[in-house]
Amino acid sequence: MRPLDAKLLRDIWRMRMHAAGIVLVLGCGLAVLIMAVGMRASLEKTRLQYYADKHMADLAVSLVRAPDRLAPVMENAPGVAAVETRISGYALLDLPQVAEPVSARLISLPRQGRPRVNDLALTAGRWPDPAHPEEALVNEAFATALRLRPGSPLDAILHGHRQRLVITGIANSPEFVFVTAPGEMFPQPERFAVIWMGRDALGEAYDMRGAFNDAVIRLAAGADIRAATRAIDDTLTPYGSAGATGRDRMMSDRFLSEELSQLGILASFIPTFFLIVAAFLVNISMGRVIATERANIGLLKAFGYSDLAIAWHYAESALIFGTLGLIAGIAAGTVYGRFIAGMYRQYYHFPNLEFSASLPTLILAAAASFAAAGLGAWNAVARAARLPPAEALAPPQPANYAQGGGLFHGFAEGLDAKSRIILRRIVRFPRRAATTALGIGLAISILIVTQSFPAEMTYMLDVHFGLANRQDVTLTLSEPQEAGVLHDIERLPGVITVEPFRIDGVAFSKDQRRVEEALFGLAEGATLNRLIGRDLSVIAPPTEGVWLSRPLARKLEARAGDDITIEQLRGRRIRATVRVAGIIDPMIGSSAYMSLGNLSSLMREPGRISGAYLRLDPAAYAAFTARLKQTPALMGASFVSLAERSMRKNFNEHMGLMTAIYSSFAAIMAGGVAFSAARVTLAEQERDLATLRVLGFSRLEVSYVLIGEIMVLALLSLPFAVLFGTGMAIWMTHLFSTENFAFPYVFDPAGYAFAISFTLACVLVAALVVRGAVDRLDMVGVLKARD
Amino acid sequence: MTASFSLRGVNKQYGKGATAVHALSDVSVDIQDGELLMLVGPSGSGKSTLLNILGGLDHATSGEVRFRDALLTAMSDRDLTAYRRRHVGFIFQFYNLIPSLTAHENVDLVREIADNPLSAADALALVGLTGRMDHFPAQLSGGEQQRVAVARAIAKRPAILLCDEPTGALDLQTGAQVLEALSEINRLYKSTTLIITHNADIARMGARVVRFADGRVREIETNATPAKPFELVW
Ligand SMILES: Nc1ncnc2c1ncn2[C@@H]1O[C@H](COP(=O)(O)OP(=O)(O)OP(=O)(O)O)[C@@H](O)[C@H]1O
Ligand SMILES: [Mg+2]
Repeated sequence: MRPLDAKLLRDIWRMRMHAAGIVLVLGCGLAVLIMAVGMRASLEKTRLQYYADKHMADLAVSLVRAPDRLAPVMENAPGVAAVETRISGYALLDLPQVAEPVSARLISLPRQGRPRVNDLALTAGRWPDPAHPEEALVNEAFATALRLRPGSPLDAILHGHRQRLVITGIANSPEFVFVTAPGEMFPQPERFAVIWMGRDALGEAYDMRGAFNDAVIRLAAGADIRAATRAIDDTLTPYGSAGATGRDRMMSDRFLSEELSQLGILASFIPTFFLIVAAFLVNISMGRVIATERANIGLLKAFGYSDLAIAWHYAESALIFGTLGLIAGIAAGTVYGRFIAGMYRQYYHFPNLEFSASLPTLILAAAASFAAAGLGAWNAVARAARLPPAEALAPPQPANYAQGGGLFHGFAEGLDAKSRIILRRIVRFPRRAATTALGIGLAISILIVTQSFPAEMTYMLDVHFGLANRQDVTLTLSEPQEAGVLHDIERLPGVITVEPFRIDGVAFSKDQRRVEEALFGLAEGATLNRLIGRDLSVIAPPTEGVWLSRPLARKLEARAGDDITIEQLRGRRIRATVRVAGIIDPMIGSSAYMSLGNLSSLMREPGRISGAYLRLDPAAYAAFTARLKQTPALMGASFVSLAERSMRKNFNEHMGLMTAIYSSFAAIMAGGVAFSAARVTLAEQERDLATLRVLGFSRLEVSYVLIGEIMVLALLSLPFAVLFGTGMAIWMTHLFSTENFAFPYVFDPAGYAFAISFTLACVLVAALVVRGAVDRLDMVGVLKARD
Repeated sequence: MTASFSLRGVNKQYGKGATAVHALSDVSVDIQDGELLMLVGPSGSGKSTLLNILGGLDHATSGEVRFRDALLTAMSDRDLTAYRRRHVGFIFQFYNLIPSLTAHENVDLVREIADNPLSAADALALVGLTGRMDHFPAQLSGGEQQRVAVARAIAKRPAILLCDEPTGALDLQTGAQVLEALSEINRLYKSTTLIITHNADIARMGARVVRFADGRVREIETNATPAKPFELVW
């Protein structure tokens, strides 16, 4: 071993406490990086593979009714590789083990062979036999949630008729990787089923013999998606088609894409924090090493080592930190990634989803690690390289405190000598003080950011369920019906309040711009279901015209007072012109809103409604759900309190865990910074502290000088930390906000208090641990040496 | 005259077994109140060790050290700190000033923990540094820094002044100034003053000179007429 190598190892051993802090912080950052980037790549790869294996549709279209003979016409459209026409509908399921009726989506299977588009992956059982119309497949999430097995019976109300189905198999579909009931934001596997049945059986049930009302289309490689869409629409528009849509409008794929982009944000955001702090720690500790090594550096240069050799010698320690951090990060990131993959498997139903950190991921992590370590060491290494040997060998002069500090002169006068020492050190070496304060401030900031997640999620849930959706049940009708249906609903057992609503899928257009969105008809004076703005105000429907949500208005480039065209996407495809009454900022949704009366008149169905919101008498709940199970003509029944309970439970389990993980990472960071800062301060002050002890100052008094400086720096960092943390938290909410989901920033004093007090406690503990060294100060030794 | 220190059979041993170093062996000596005592002897003979034990910075391995009525060898660390705080002034070869405090503040520092201290200005005037009060250590010469250290040591009117080679890092002229200040203080405040020196001429300053060798007291000389610092010809 070359002597310099031996020295390098000894140096690192000497700064092992610093090194441990650096490696831990680097490791945390890289773990998040590897998890997020690796998970993103794994998800993307799995999705691609799954879509290819099971022929995921490129286009989907739903319509009123078209004859089977149109299938070959569509197949011949330019760019189309395969078409699967289907019969699709909604139904309620009556399960003995669940009080409330469960909503289900039914989809037909081809008469012969497997679906050529959106094929299924069977996980248990067998395919239904076309000769047995009662046989059905059910999606895995639902089967798992309700412990259904091949052979289990299933009572469904199909198109008003009660029918007993038998499960022959459990399946997953690329179309339903992420499964939510229509209109729900969050999966409730036990509340929503996807059921696949024979074509003839469903044709019988929905009165669709020889016809279809749904088609999924796969395009040839390199096909022109616009041309294909136009061809399909030309064929199907006369049959009440809502227009073919791409994957961006397919729920499951859309959620997957959003998840991928959020992983991307996570991958860039949180690791950056940690890597910056790791660079700080390297900077602090390497700076200290070089300062204590002045004489050695001079000696080595005097012996003939070049500046470059010296620089390399110190750069090597940065490389070692980077390597150790990388190893820690890969180990932790792999464990973390596997854990997250397990969590994802609960929400995303792929045949197999495994986490693997790909080579590019590891290369990226290595680059990040060495960049952070190198950046941190840069200053110190450059200083070592520049140090002239003569100057390095001369004894260091006492640090000159004569410069600077004029501003604080008067202030210092009023202090006792010990506080004056603290003040002077900070004022005289502002960069060093700022580095420490910045490190502590960053630790507080990241805790503020991580603590803001749960506060924001809780806020969202509170607003969603407490202000916006105060109904107990939402009933959705299969088709818009006369308002008279409200009387039938009112007569259901236990119903206290009924509030009608209407929703139409429409295409908005202005000039050349066209956007498909939902148009809501809101009841005037609604008390159950209300549109809530970002400022928590209740937005009443306009008396005249339409409210556009801001994202929709932006896409249409529409302003208040403009006239826009709307076109119904189903049924009679009514076209009309409406005036924009105003632009609103709803908390959730990127839709448009009218009064119920105006909307139904506009659609030339005066008084017809799509469904109703209900408030129930809890005492009559069982009677209500029992009756509902018998009610035909319902497309869905959504139980808001069940949804709320399931969302809160999921949130507590998963968000809580994630927050705990990030908080402990942030705590490691806070501890690392605090410990490094305390040790460096001790190292720099050791001689002065020992002198104070010799002069007769007690341990307590001497500790004050040490701990005081760190605590003052920590306190000085607070304003920065709070501002920066808040800024980051706000920025984060913008990054996580999607088009129809404005993620709010919520000021949560408890979160801030935790972030600040936790970090200050870390700093204090670190300072107290280091303070132990004050007891062991070598008073005799310090008097012998010149420093 | 009363005894300030009395030492009986003091031993100090570093390490154990074959590698043990006997820094002090069976040292017994009495030091009078207000006495100016010089400690001389070859390097490694145990002078600093003795001074550190007397100053409460280090513990003897065995034997008794008494300061007035108190048994230093039986004191805890906390009591030794209190003892240093009340009675002892130190001056070292390398000054050991706090670089972040001015000359005035370095002296003021000990006034915070003393009962009846001199003002910092008076203490600095005694060492002839009235004009440099607001300078930081980095702005002072070595001799000036050492005189600040002297002022710091005397500001609390210590009963004992312990000086380990106070002129070791200084030239003749500057060293003489420092010694002058020390003897002046010894005369004015009757502080028991122990000075370690390698310089035989300086040793003539003391009323008594204790000569060390191999951790033992070899001989104690008495000077009928101690020399004045500026009369010393180096
Ligand atoms: N911490 C220690 N560990 C081991 N041995 C020590 C220690 N301190 C001092 N010694 C030894 O004790 C002996 C006395 O040391 P001391 O410092 O008292 O000598 P000194 O007379 O002051 O010498 P000098 O004139 O060189 O300052 C020496 O042999 C020294 O090596
Ligand atoms: Mg010595």
